[in-house]
Amino acid sequence: MLQKKICMLGGFAVGKTSLVRRFVQSIFSENYLTTVGVKIDKKSVAFPDKTVDLILWDLAGEDDIGSFRVSYVRGATGLVLVVDGTRPATLGVALTLRERCEAEFGAMPFILLFNKSDLTDRWAISDGEIDELKQRGWQVYLTSALSGEHVEEAFRQLASMVAK
Amino acid sequence: MVEIARNVDPDNHALYEGVPAADHRLERLRQLLVGVEISELSRVTHLLDEPEQLATAVGNVLPEATARASHAQLGEALAPAVERAAQRSIQKNPNTLTDILYPVFLPAIRKSIGEKIDQTFQSLNESLRHIFTWHGLKWRFEAWRTGTSFSAVVLKHSLIYRVEHVFLISRASGLLIAHVTSQDATSEDPQLISSMLSAIQDFVRDSFNEKENSGLDTIRFGELRLWSEVGQFATLVAVIRGNPPEELHEVIRDVLLRIHQESSRALERFDGDSSQLPGVETQLQTCVELQHMDSKEGFPWLVVTAALLVLTVAGGWFFLSWQAGQRWQTYLSRLATQPGIVVSEQKIRGGQFYIAGLRDPLAVDPQSLLSGTEVDPARVHSNWQFYQSLEPVFVLKRLTASLAPPDSVRLSVANGRIVAEGEATTTWINRARAAAQQLSAGGPVFDISGVRDVSAEERWQAYVSRLETQPGIVVADQNVRDGQFYITGLRDPLAADPQSLLAETQVDPSRVHASWQFYQSLEPQFVMKRLTASLTPPDSVRLSVVDDRIVAAGEATTAWIIRARVAAQQLSAGGPVFDISGVRDVSPEERWQAYVSRLETQPGIIVAQQNVRDGQFYITGLRDPLAADPQSLLSGTEVDPARVHASWQFYQSLEPVFVLKRLTASLYPPDTVRLSIVNGRIVAEGEAPDTWIDRARAAARQLSAGGPEFDISKVRDVSPDARAAEHWQYYVSRLEAQPGIIVAQQTERGGHFYISGLRDPLAADPQALLSGTGVDPARVHSQWQFYQSLDPKFVVKRLTASLSPPKTIRLSIIQGRIVVVGEASAGWISRAQAAAEQLSADGVVLDVSQLRELNLAELNQLREAIQTTDIFFSSGRVVPGPEQTPVLDRLADQLKEFAENARKAGVTARFMLTGHSDTTGRETANASISAARAETVRALLNKRGVAPELLLVRGAGTFEPAVPENSQTGSSTNRRVSITVNLE
Repeated sequence: MLQKKICMLGGFAVGKTSLVRRFVQSIFSENYLTTVGVKIDKKSVAFPDKTVDLILWDLAGEDDIGSFRVSYVRGATGLVLVVDGTRPATLGVALTLRERCEAEFGAMPFILLFNKSDLTDRWAISDGEIDELKQRGWQVYLTSALSGEHVEEAFRQLASMVAK
Repeated sequence: MVEIARNVDPDNHALYEGVPAADHRLERLRQLLVGVEISELSRVTHLLDEPEQLATAVGNVLPEATARASHAQLGEALAPAVERAAQRSIQKNPNTLTDILYPVFLPAIRKSIGEKIDQTFQSLNESLRHIFTWHGLKWRFEAWRTGTSFSAVVLKHSLIYRVEHVFLISRASGLLIAHVTSQDATSEDPQLISSMLSAIQDFVRDSFNEKENSGLDTIRFGELRLWSEVGQFATLVAVIRGNPPEELHEVIRDVLLRIHQESSRALERFDGDSSQLPGVETQLQTCVELQHMDSKEGFPWLVVTAALLVLTVAGGWFFLSWQAGQRWQTYLSRLATQPGIVVSEQKIRGGQFYIAGLRDPLAVDPQSLLSGTEVDPARVHSNWQFYQSLEPVFVLKRLTASLAPPDSVRLSVANGRIVAEGEATTTWINRARAAAQQLSAGGPVFDISGVRDVSAEERWQAYVSRLETQPGIVVADQNVRDGQFYITGLRDPLAADPQSLLAETQVDPSRVHASWQFYQSLEPQFVMKRLTASLTPPDSVRLSVVDDRIVAAGEATTAWIIRARVAAQQLSAGGPVFDISGVRDVSPEERWQAYVSRLETQPGIIVAQQNVRDGQFYITGLRDPLAADPQSLLSGTEVDPARVHASWQFYQSLEPVFVLKRLTASLYPPDTVRLSIVNGRIVAEGEAPDTWIDRARAAARQLSAGGPEFDISKVRDVSPDARAAEHWQYYVSRLEAQPGIIVAQQTERGGHFYISGLRDPLAADPQALLSGTGVDPARVHSQWQFYQSLDPKFVVKRLTASLSPPKTIRLSIIQGRIVVVGEASAGWISRAQAAAEQLSADGVVLDVSQLRELNLAELNQLREAIQTTDIFFSSGRVVPGPEQTPVLDRLADQLKEFAENARKAGVTARFMLTGHSDTTGRETANASISAARAETVRALLNKRGVAPELLLVRGAGTFEPAVPENSQTGSSTNRRVSITVNLE
């Protein structure tokens, strides 16, 4: 049994919870997010030689970085950064959150998800920006909670990164 | 080269001993070839040789070297030194280490103490809870049986629990290291649970800023408890169902410690791969096996119960037979102590008791002794032979029975001897002596030496001396001869009887031979007795003894005086003086004259003639049969009736007293008539029927010739009808005196009364007036017409009812005029004036000139203030906004003040609340909104203490706007409730 603690970070209403809702095992209600500030789900990713259980800590999204409970990230081996593709400001939030985690617990693998890719008419991130981020060697995915586009792929990528 | 070699290795020195040392070329060559190395070498050598420099150098590399050293080897190498260092440090100053370790130990100690206290409380609670129950008793027995404490047993039974899950969670990541579960327990994904648990731990720690290392200790949810133990790298969480004992904490902690000891490194490096930690699960398994179930079949209750039952029965039987034996022994010992009872044989066979022996008839009945010993009498078979016991007690009893000692003798047992003491006659003493002789063979000693012989002589002497003190008895001689008593003497027949005196003594009368001569005692009281018997003095003479002289005083006939004188002369020889000088001589003639004059004073007796001839008295005259009987008057006069010859003619006395008596006897006057004598006239007073009056009148006429006057003029003729008519007239006059009642007509016909007239409804009820008049209501036929009396009193009553004057008004009647005084509202005054006008037509004066109008200025001002107040509403709202609250408060106060003032002035104020709306929206909606607004305001005013009955509501819709409306949005001024004041 191989498990890894993964934290999902992102600004308010970027769609973290809806993103994972269809793809993960969950036993806790979403109320936990508002009460405890975290909700835990599990995503099993099977590889030919092993299965990795990603224990996903879905942290309550806050645009106010100050209220972020950094202690929840302790012991995590990877991050999922979620950005709302229709709101460019959420990219800044996600990156700031990552910086805080790295400052506290050191560098760790992450994937960057631009969510709500189905809302093409309100899309506000240019391809150039995305390309530039990919240039940095970051794993960037355009995902849609609605269609499920690239979600499996992204988790698989993360699992392979953390299970190395 | 040799030199180089020599310098490099000292061994080479010897090897190349033959090579010359001081060859400067060689030196030069050496400088050229290895000069740098030599200087470096000397520096290093210097470094190594100088301890200070060496220490500095090692100190520079020591941390790095330690970090790079193999952990195991370094640990082993350092352990003894560190231990010694710690030891030394503690020896030197324990405080240093204590201070260092204090933050580490304190939480642990605190936690441990806390748990211990919890444990104690738990034990105490459980003990208390079960102390008085059936379980409690059972467990007490178990505690006794197993030799453990009661509270331990209670805990053992009441703490039923099962560890269902155990999670070992990495503290760093919250990832699950291992999870074991009991056989049939289920749970959701343990990985998620463990992460969530650590998330919650983090949450609590962050939320409450708890710096401590411990985290959540216990989470409790219904029957489930989560106990967590926090270790250095991992947390162990046990999920327990039920009621676990506090000691379980220790068990869990031990498991966690063991895991840490065995796999410390693996735990520290845990990165989510649980395969690195095999064997942990087996450790955890020990936790899951922890449980305690109340065993239902642990103790063989049935067997124990049966055994107990048998034991109880057997024990009971043994106890009962032992108890019966004990009781029998008690009985036997009681018998043995009884005098006069000798037990010769006794035994118990088959639960029956057999006893045989001797008993004195005077001894206690053995059967009666049984009672009180609880030995069943039916199981006792006794065989007693009677015998005479020689025990002193029994001998005493028998002596008492046979000798019958007199009261003056007392028998007792002293030191086994029977002792008689006291006084007895010689004969008794002789009998006692004989009995003592009989007893001497084997029996107890009977000592009669203490009995004094009181022979008859002594008692005889006592008798004689008593006789000698008796008056009228003179003892001449007495002696005792051969047990016989002889006495001679004199006795007065009037003295006490010597024989009867004898009966009071213990002297045997048959042995007394008395010879008494009668004589007359000259003691004054005997003489007086004899004189009284012989002289028979008349009632008028009294005899008495004065200073040993007999004195007669009073009146007596000459004959009696002569006899008394003879007696006195006889007595003079030796006897007491008989003084008759105090007796006056009264002759028969004198007494006769006294009798006659007494007769003459008697009413109804007329003495015509009387004379005395030859000692005989003759009297003639008239006597009324109702007068006293002359013969009976004779007794007590000392006149000898045999010498009286009376001749009485009956006549009717005309003395008023006799006439009255005769009239009373002949006329039978009724109770209502009283007859009396007034100045020689007989007067009848009271009421009587005419028939009686007629008879009385006839009697009066008969009497007129010579008799006293009989006056019957004061007797009223009262026949029942006449009386009834009289009562009726009284009733009618009473009615006529009543205000508000006018009697028009009244007649009496055939014993029935008819009355008709007018009555005011406010007047007294004529029927009620009947009571107390003596008129039979059944015979009264009334016919009353109601009318309104103009009597001022009735007018006032009616006015009070119709005008309801306020408290400030007073109505009074002054000289037949009704005067109204006080202050009132203008409305009331005008109503009073109207009433005055109406009444004047009837001739009744109602004076309203003194009425003053109330000063309503203040009230009017208030009314103005109220009527200009409006309550405003937001569009579409029926409840006023909070900004209206002060307006409502003020309005409520004004309304209350106004209502109160109006009430004082005798008027009722009512307030009309009218709701309004603006013109937006449909008209029907507006109408209902406006009404609802008025209703709301009424409720709000009522809430502020305004009486609801004073508040009227109506909805005016849009019809009464305060301002004309033009705008689309409607006018906020028109959305209001307005108030108008009405006075009634």
